[in-house]
Parts: sequence; C-alpha cells; structure tokens
Amino acid sequence: MSEKPARAIKLNVLNEPKDSYTGGPSSLCPGCGHDQISSVIINAAWENGIEPHRIAKMSGIGCSSKTPAYYLGQSHGFNTVHGRMPSVTTGAYAINKDLLYLGVSGDGDSASIGIGQLIHAIRRNMDMVYVLENNGVYGLTKGQYSATADVGSKKKKGAVNETQPIDLCAMAINLGCTFVARSFSGSKKQLTSLIKAAMSHKGFALIDVISPCVTFNNNDESMRSYGYVKENEITLHMADYIPHFNPMEEIEVPEGHFRDITLHDGSTIRLETISDEHDPADAMAALTALHDAETTKKHVTGLLYFDPTKPSLAEDLGLVDQALIDVPDEELRPSKASLDALNAEFLA
Amino acid sequence: MEPIINDFTINIATANGTGSQSANLILLQSLFEMGVPVSGKNLFPSNISGLPTWYIVRLSDQGYQAPGDRTHIQILVNPATWEEDLAALEPGSVVIWNSDTKKKTVEREDIISYPVPMSSLARKINPKIAKLVTNIIYVGVLAELLDIDQTCLESAVAKQFKGKETAIELNITALGLGRDYCKEHLTKEDPYGAEMRTIEKPQFFIEGNEAAALGAHYGGAQLLAWYPITPSSSLAENIINYIPRLRTDEDGNATCAVIQAEDELAAAGMVLGAGWAGGRGMTATSGPGISLMQEFIGLAYFAEIPSVFWDVTRVGPSTGLPTRTQQSDIAMLYEGSHGDTQHIVLMPGTVEECFEFGWRAFDYTERFQTPVFGMSDLDLGMNRWACEGFTYPDIPMDRGKVVREKDVFEAFETFGRYLDIDGDGIPYRTLPGSGMAPILYRGTGHNPMGVYSEKPEDYYNLMARLKMKINNARDELPAPILREEEECEVGIIFLGSMENSIQEIDDILEATGMKVSQCRVRALPFHSEVEEFIRRHEIVIVLEINRDGQLYGILRRELPNDVVTKVHSVAYSEGMPPRARIYAERILATLEEVKQ
Repeated sequence: MSEKPARAIKLNVLNEPKDSYTGGPSSLCPGCGHDQISSVIINAAWENGIEPHRIAKMSGIGCSSKTPAYYLGQSHGFNTVHGRMPSVTTGAYAINKDLLYLGVSGDGDSASIGIGQLIHAIRRNMDMVYVLENNGVYGLTKGQYSATADVGSKKKKGAVNETQPIDLCAMAINLGCTFVARSFSGSKKQLTSLIKAAMSHKGFALIDVISPCVTFNNNDESMRSYGYVKENEITLHMADYIPHFNPMEEIEVPEGHFRDITLHDGSTIRLETISDEHDPADAMAALTALHDAETTKKHVTGLLYFDPTKPSLAEDLGLVDQALIDVPDEELRPSKASLDALNAEFLA
Repeated sequence: MEPIINDFTINIATANGTGSQSANLILLQSLFEMGVPVSGKNLFPSNISGLPTWYIVRLSDQGYQAPGDRTHIQILVNPATWEEDLAALEPGSVVIWNSDTKKKTVEREDIISYPVPMSSLARKINPKIAKLVTNIIYVGVLAELLDIDQTCLESAVAKQFKGKETAIELNITALGLGRDYCKEHLTKEDPYGAEMRTIEKPQFFIEGNEAAALGAHYGGAQLLAWYPITPSSSLAENIINYIPRLRTDEDGNATCAVIQAEDELAAAGMVLGAGWAGGRGMTATSGPGISLMQEFIGLAYFAEIPSVFWDVTRVGPSTGLPTRTQQSDIAMLYEGSHGDTQHIVLMPGTVEECFEFGWRAFDYTERFQTPVFGMSDLDLGMNRWACEGFTYPDIPMDRGKVVREKDVFEAFETFGRYLDIDGDGIPYRTLPGSGMAPILYRGTGHNPMGVYSEKPEDYYNLMARLKMKINNARDELPAPILREEEECEVGIIFLGSMENSIQEIDDILEATGMKVSQCRVRALPFHSEVEEFIRRHEIVIVLEINRDGQLYGILRRELPNDVVTKVHSVAYSEGMPPRARIYAERILATLEEVKQ
C-alpha cells in the first residue's frame, strides 16, 4: 500500500487538531446563527489551548441549549432544565472548581424563566462563561416572542410585540457583572476574541450574542422585515416549511463605526462596534453606550464592561485549595474521635 | 391527697419572643437531669414576636413522650390567651398565674390557684428586662412546688447559657426569687411532684435537625445548598455551625461548601450540579420547597444524578400551618415530579436515626444513582429528644459505580452511561473533567449510550430499568422496626415521629384486651418484611399523621390483592404532635367498623 503524502494538520499548543473540539451534527434550522456561535466556541477553545475534557458544557432548554451537542464532543455536558442552568453550574463548580464552565443559554432561558438564576449567578460572580444566544423568540415552541423582542416586532401571523424588551447587558452591568459583552453571531472575529477573553476571566462573563432566528424572527417593519420570505408567499402559508438559508456571511465592523447588516429575511440590523476609546472599567460609559444605541436603533457590540478585581465565588466559599472532588473520602468524613468527643460533650 | 409523681403534664402559655423558650428549656433540662423521663413540645406561631406560644412538658415514668391528653398544671403568663387557656382546664387542675397581669384574674372555684406577682418580682432584679425575667420566675415557682433538685436546676441554667456568666447568675437569682416567693406565700395544695430517678444509661437532649446535620457531616457532605424555611432552617444552620469544628483544616479552609440559594429551585439545581460533578450535595427544606423542586427531582431520577433532599415536613397544603407538624409529604416524595417516578425515602423516627440516615442518604444516592429523600417532621426536627449518643458509621463511604481510573475504564468492553452491564439496573458513570466517555447529560429521552433517543424501545427499556433499580433497593434500605406479640392479632404500621406516641397508643389499645404488634416503616419503597408482617397479622392498621392516609395509599397499591383487604387506614391530623388517646380511639373505632 502506497502511503499518502501526509497533509499538514494545524495543531494548537496542546498539539491537538481542531477536530478534538468539534461535536455532533447540528439539528437546528439550516443557516441558524447559533451554529456559527458553536463554530466560534470550537475555535476559541482550540485556539486557547484548553484541554477539551477540562471544559464542562452547560445549558438550559431551547434551541440554544441544544447546541452543546454540536461542539466539544470530548467534554462532559449537562443539558439541564429551562432557565436553571446557572444553579446546576454553581453546584458543579462548588465540587469541581478546576473545570472551565461554558454555559450556553437563550433569551427564553435567561430573560424570562431563568432571569432570577442568571441574576444570582452574576451576584455570586460565579466563574463561568455565559453565552447568551439572543434571537428574541422562542424557537422550539414555534415563534412566540421572548422578553428581549424589540417593541414593534411583528410575527408571521400578525401580532405585534408591544412590551418593552429587557436589555440583559444593561441589567448585568447594573448588577456588577465583572465581564459584559455584546456581539453578533456573524461577527466571527469579534466573537472569537470575546469568548477567548471570557474563558480567561475569573468571574462571571456574560456575552450577549445577537443571533437572529432564521425561521421565526420576522418583522415587516423597519428593523427586521420579513421581506425575503414575503416574496415567496407560498412558504408563508406552509407552517411546517422551514426555508433553508446559507449561514450569515462573516461581518466585521471597525471600532467606533457601524454597519447595516441584511438578515436572511431581508431586514437590516445596525451593528456598531464600541469605540476603542471606550474604557471597559467605566460602567457609566458602558450604560451610556447601551442607551445611546437603543435610542438610535443600533446594537452596540464589543467588550462593554470589565472588572477583574472582584473576588469570584471560589474565594467566597472558603474551601480547601484542591477541588472538593479530589478530596479523599477519609478526609471528607470526620474522624471517630471527633464523634466520641461530641458525644462526651453532649453527655457532660 | 395521694401524691402524683412523675406522671403529669405542664402547659406554659406565653407570648412569642419574650424569652420563654430559654426558661422552658431550663425546666425541661433540669427534670431530665433528675432522671425523670420527660418530653417537651414547643407549639409556636409563625411570628417573631407577640403571638401566643405554648410549651408542653410531660413527665412520665412510663416513658410516654406524646403530649399528654390533658393539662395538669397550667402556667398563665400570656393575657392574650388567658380566658381560653383557663376555660380548657379540667376540674382539679393547677394554675400558676402572673397576678401582675392587668385586668386578669383566676376565678374558677374548681381549680387550685397559685397567684404569683411575677412581674414585680422580676422588676426587683432588673426593671429593664423584667419581661424576660418573668419567665424564669415561674420556673422557680414550679421548682419549689414540684421539688425540683436545685443542683439539676443550676446545671440546666449553665447548659442553657454556656459560659455566659452574667446570664447564668441572673437566672439563678430569679429562680431563687420564685422559689422564695413560693415558700413564703403559697401553701401546696396539689398532689404533683418530681422525683429523682436512677439514670441507667446516660442520655442527652438533642433536636432531630441537629442530629441530621451531624449525620450529613459524617456522610462527608460536600455541598449544602439551601433556602430558609421553617421547620428545616435549623438543619441547614446546624450543618453550617459544625463546619468549623468538623470540616475545616488548620488554615481555616473547609471541605464542605455552603450556598444560600435564591430559592428552592436553585437549591435543588445546585444539589444536582454537585451530584453530576461527582460530589455529595444536599439541601434541607420543607413541603413548600419540595413542591418547587419537583422539576429537578424528575431530572435527577431520569438522568440518574445522586442528590439528597431533606424534607422536615410541616402542615400543608400551601403555606398551611407553617409551625405545626404533619406527615404531609409521603406521597409527594415517593412519586415526586411528573411522569412515572419512584423515589427512595428514608423516614427516621428517632434522633439517632436522623443522624444515621443523615450519612446513609449519601451512600444510597450514590449507590443507586437516584435522588434520596430524608423525611423528618417539625416534631422530630425541632423538639428535643433524649439520645444515648451517636454511632460512628461502621462502613466506609459507598461512592457507587463511579469509574475514576483510566485502566478500569479501558477494561470495559463497551461503556455506555446508561448501559446495565451488571444486570442490577445500576449503570456505571464517569465524571466531568475525567475525559472518559463524555456525554451530554439530559432530561430528554436517551438510549443506553446516553444519546438522545425517542425510539419506543429505548424509552420503554429505560423506564423498566429505572423501576427495577429502585425495586432492587427495597431490602437494602433500613428494615422496619418490629415489636411483635406472639398472638399476631392487631398490627400497627406507622412511621417517623409517631414513634414517640406509639407505646402509649399500644398500651391504651391493649388495656381493652387485644394484643398489638408494631411495625415502624423506615424507608420507601417498602421493605419485603412489611408485607410479611401484614401476612402474619389478622388485621393491620396503617397509622399516620395526615388526612388522607398517604402511606396507606402507597401500601395498598403495591400489596398483592390477597392481603390488601387486611389493611385499614387511620389517618388524622390537626397540626398537633400526636396525642395518644386521640389516635388510639380512632384505631378502636376503625377496628369496630371492620368487625361489623
């Protein structure tokens, strides 16, 4: 048998090929932005040279929360219950603080049913990367609005969302979250660097990634019109037909500038990358940037707020240096002498 | 007048938050130190200050620990319940009352009345804390009337105020004032007295919640995630209190993490996270908390995550009577969460068992890879019970089928997270961070390899295996405690804190001429000995402290048809710790009905 010429495979610092970081095939709608985020996660973990088995993939319930099956196949993961991924992660972290906890969540999980758990994980400055795949709709239950949907969003069947959205980045900054960023599923370069930075952060890192739903996030009006599908009226009346889209092209917006991005449905979204003059230590500046973006119908992206000085949960727990999972049984169970002493004191 | 020694009940009516609890515990402890078999029940309101509270102290040479059927000595300090408490007394009862209480007096001719100016006596010591001292005055009066030993009294004071010299001194002075007032101004007209008894086995008083907390530490608990709720908070707080002593190294670093969660849902989530990561996680809660945890309980069962939940039950449904006792959650724990589930429930009946099940719960949960519940109740958890001491675990920690080493892992021909290799329904697991057989755990349907599946045979086989797994646990769990009569006439199946009333119930029943055997169930699913007990007896009563007969319902469903007809339910709950006569009379009525 003749030997094939060896093809050069790119390896990371651990001599691992990128294949060591991939997962199973995606079952999301073709063209979904979430799949782009998955590929960014693969890239970021590979480039950061993290041993795949030292990552724990955490998620809740929803389209976004299915994605841990599609990346890091060598990592243990836990697809928990709706909105409750932060608590499960907190418990796992208390036992094994040496793993890198990579949570993926959606806006249903994080802005509604699980907003309390998100808030308290931030409050504890729990060491984790929290990627929020934000599309403004409940995809798996077929297109109900979520709490991050813009006012004026209009569904396929006509109902207009009149309820104001929750800006999770603004909320996180107000809560004292130590790493707050916003990005876009198509901004591969920016998102990769944000996720890589978040992986190195000691504390809670929230990355709110705008990831428009190719199937349900439709709006005839300005920002997210349903123009594309509208031209193909047949598809509109076939509820079980999911149009196939190609993934969003890669987008790069220079710092301090904005660009209008055309989405699958023909709508546009205006992305602005925060200026390189923005000081991420300045919470007020970050909140102002978010507010300005909102009033000018833009989404400001980039690292908005960063505070590496706050102690993370590990320090608050006051535990032994080694992860609790590594403490041998005989050190977990107090000695017989200690119980004898207690019994004697009680009897005294 | 024939003296009545060590066989009567004292009821102390005070207002919550006035410091009466310390005074009452001193009374209880001093009698205990005299060797008098005594029990104390705190009936407190859901309130911090002001609402009425009662403390019932029962002395019983027969060892009866249920609150007595009637009050023999009433302490009246609380004007809010004055008339009500007074009216409830049977003729011949004794009333010790605070004669300084405005607009209140005792005008019943058929009772023995001891007026004591408790407030004025207390003011003599320190007018600023007169209200607090009032309570200890009545203990002094009682000490004199009942002839409570002064050494035991002082020792009880010292125990109550551990090392706080000023408090000890003040209380001993106040006790003396009470005694002296009694000597100088009152003539004993009642027959009641306390007498020293030889202590055969030294004992101490402890609450079930403290015992369970200690048990958790001796089980090597690594995470306590909790949310405050009566009556379980003291279980969690005792775990916290013992960490410095039992779980901390010289540098002050602990091997047990504590997180006060944002709610019970999060507490349950953290417990599951701990179990998933390979650690020993637990929570302590009560019925309303378990209601909130249902979602995670189903996940733990279906994804097979070790997790320990202590439920110190209280009166439901809803907020119910939050400071009253009930065996309220048997059905909810056994079948927690939606879909077909079945859980292991440990049901201690003594403080020794609270300790033992405290550590065993972790062994069971890791061994069977399924949630394990400890079910105590407010009566057992928050009242003080006599204890001879705790026994150190006689077996090493059972961590279950966890594959930790690479060579062990590689020896498996095929490895699947949910593959039943040994045929006992318990699969092997690897841990996050190990790099061995990583899977995405999920609450969705899965095949033996842990991969998402909606295939009919995968779902059916999985559910059948889970059923087998729990079924196999039956005889591995604590066996029932049997106290059988040779005649095998009437059998009583009961559980938990009813242990404290059962002997008195048994004696009342046997006084009518029947023979009564006892079977105290200590775990669900039922041990096979329970069915055998039923088969041996002519008629069986399932006795429990709730309305619907929850344990009976489970038993009835699981028993073979030929024995079901032997079993009858007696379930009753009013929020009070079980008074023997009430339950005995209901058993007699049921037996009468069955005979007809």
